[in-house]
Amino acid sequence: MKLQNRLKQQRQNRGFTQAELATAVHVTRQTIIAVEKGRFNPSVKLALEIAQALNTPITELFWLDQQENQS
Amino acid sequence: MKAYYTSRIIISLAFAVLQWATGAIWWEAALIAAVLIALFMWAPRSGRYAVYPELGVSALRRDEFTQAINDKAARNAFMAMALAVSGYLIIVGGVTAVPIQFVKWLLFGGIGVYYLSDFWLRGQRLIAKPQE
Repeated sequence: MKLQNRLKQQRQNRGFTQAELATAVHVTRQTIIAVEKGRFNPSVKLALEIAQALNTPITELFWLDQQENQS
Repeated sequence: MKAYYTSRIIISLAFAVLQWATGAIWWEAALIAAVLIALFMWAPRSGRYAVYPELGVSALRRDEFTQAINDKAARNAFMAMALAVSGYLIIVGGVTAVPIQFVKWLLFGGIGVYYLSDFWLRGQRLIAKPQE
């Protein structure tokens, strides 16, 4: 199962740039870019910090792709 | 960031002086210093590190993504160097005196593999994309 996210959409909806979100959760902008593009799976801690920074439930940011498991 | 830049300039110059004192030509040492200073100036703007100016000389921090990339790049460099040494020993037919020139090129090769791996694993350009 692959981790999916709608981080970019939620980030833009709340008016954050990648740099601002990166600063808020104490990571690099490259990390935010990599997470948004699905090239890097954040740790649980980082995922929770991102959700907290965006004031969004974590389940609205990240989920597991069930379709891969069912196909 | 003054403390960071000052410390890195001092380190770069000290390394260049060490190179010169151990036999490098003066312009080689100057070139090394210039390259090191340029790299240290680029690092805070590269998007690779979380920057904490309040931490002074240790203003740059790796996060989990950067650390994962560094770990993989270091493994790649180690394997490349191990293969190079093994190949060399096979070619010369056993453990003999290893010329210092080979060690120098081995180290340069390892550093090269490390940074090539680093850039490739990041999937980025040398200049960061504009912010979205």
